Amino acid sequence: MLFGWSNSTCEAQINGIRLAKKMGAMIDDTSSFCQGMLIEKVLQNKFKTCSLEEIRDKADVLVYWGSDAQDSEPRHLSRFSYFPRGQMRQRGYEEDRLAIAIDVRESNTAKICKGHFYRISPKGDREFIFALMDALSGKVPSYEPKKMLELAAIMKKAEFGAIFVGIGLTYSIKNDFEILVSLADMLPNFNIMPMIGHYNMRGFNEALFRETGFVNRVKFEGGAHDAKYSIVEALRTKSIDALLVVGSDPVSSLPRSLLAHLASIPVICIDPCVTMTSKIATVTIPCAVAGVEAAGTAVRMDGKIIELSKILESNYPSDERILTMFMEAL
Amino acid sequence: MGIDVGKFLKSPEFDIRITTYRDIFQVEALERDRFGEDYRKLSACIMLSKNDLHRMGFKPGDRVKVSSHSGSIVVEVKESKRDEPGGLAFMVNSPWSNALVSEDTGGRGMPEFKEISAKIALTKDNVTTIEELMEFKGKI
Repeated sequence: MLFGWSNSTCEAQINGIRLAKKMGAMIDDTSSFCQGMLIEKVLQNKFKTCSLEEIRDKADVLVYWGSDAQDSEPRHLSRFSYFPRGQMRQRGYEEDRLAIAIDVRESNTAKICKGHFYRISPKGDREFIFALMDALSGKVPSYEPKKMLELAAIMKKAEFGAIFVGIGLTYSIKNDFEILVSLADMLPNFNIMPMIGHYNMRGFNEALFRETGFVNRVKFEGGAHDAKYSIVEALRTKSIDALLVVGSDPVSSLPRSLLAHLASIPVICIDPCVTMTSKIATVTIPCAVAGVEAAGTAVRMDGKIIELSKILESNYPSDERILTMFMEAL
Repeated sequence: MGIDVGKFLKSPEFDIRITTYRDIFQVEALERDRFGEDYRKLSACIMLSKNDLHRMGFKPGDRVKVSSHSGSIVVEVKESKRDEPGGLAFMVNSPWSNALVSEDTGGRGMPEFKEISAKIALTKDNVTTIEELMEFKGKI
């Protein structure tokens, strides 16, 4: 399996997909246990979405749902959503914008949302969505009716709204994105934005989607897509016998009980940093840091392509170059 | 010389639900040195509400053993600065919290990082180190 990719340039990701295709290997990325399913729905045009610049210029109602952007995407509120003056929101957060947080805990983002924090119980998102849909359609919801009617009224009045979908909501509703699609359909003035932590996770998802129609969990031999080709299931069922990790640290980010198999097979790790994975890898190849020591492109959470410049010389090759050398050697 | 009976008594164990979250300062410590002391201090801890601390008889700074069906770790107790209702504990997403996460995903490939059922009890053991979390059949 070839795994990782969310901290690699688009050019390295495309090389990785080519390499997996050449070998008939499985390929997966961190979106497999993160926001992959949501991104797939966005790429399939199941949601109305927009650019971060449009949010900055037009948005008046911002809903952070299962998302603590202040800690996970720390420039988000200051550059694109709550705090900046926008073309149509010259009075910014003081008068022109309203921020709402829906979360299981009072996060740093929820603190900024002041009187508009809706605390839900873990896994309570589904009940909250149904109650909000009832309130939006004029019914009195059975769950927290006063609060839900108040929230529905704010959302109905929005001229340009955004729902920032965090991993908290994604994990809670699991496979059932249709309920989020149904809610979004009731809010024609709202846009859905997947909140992505890694700088180029969407780049990989878009590249694999173009190639195969799927954003992750692909096995090129036989051209199949299945949960069994996810890094988690592949390790749990011990169905892989070698792993190439590029720009990721699965030893740090996966459940520890899966790691005994990972540690028992040959692992090649390409990363600019010393990581828990590089420490147990059979072969570690240090690479240049993209955006500092190597140039390339990346795809932002809203789909905009960002150019990354090389600003420092490095003795290390880029991950893109290392993967090209792999292809040549094969 | 009296016998310290207390050391033979098992500390009471409580059921707890844990959810994970992100902390910008812990991520910054990770980027600086994921094998360093700052990252360990900001990761190897569990945050409880004032109500839960009182109910369980823990104090901030106590060491606790947290055990799930998937593994167990020793971490430090912290008190939540927010007005949390209790019944839910918080851990920053890290190799420590991942030691408690089940590998069983019902075939979906998405572990329950944010819904961990565990038991928690006071302990005198040392806080689990990152090196201990990397011990796999003699490798590292």
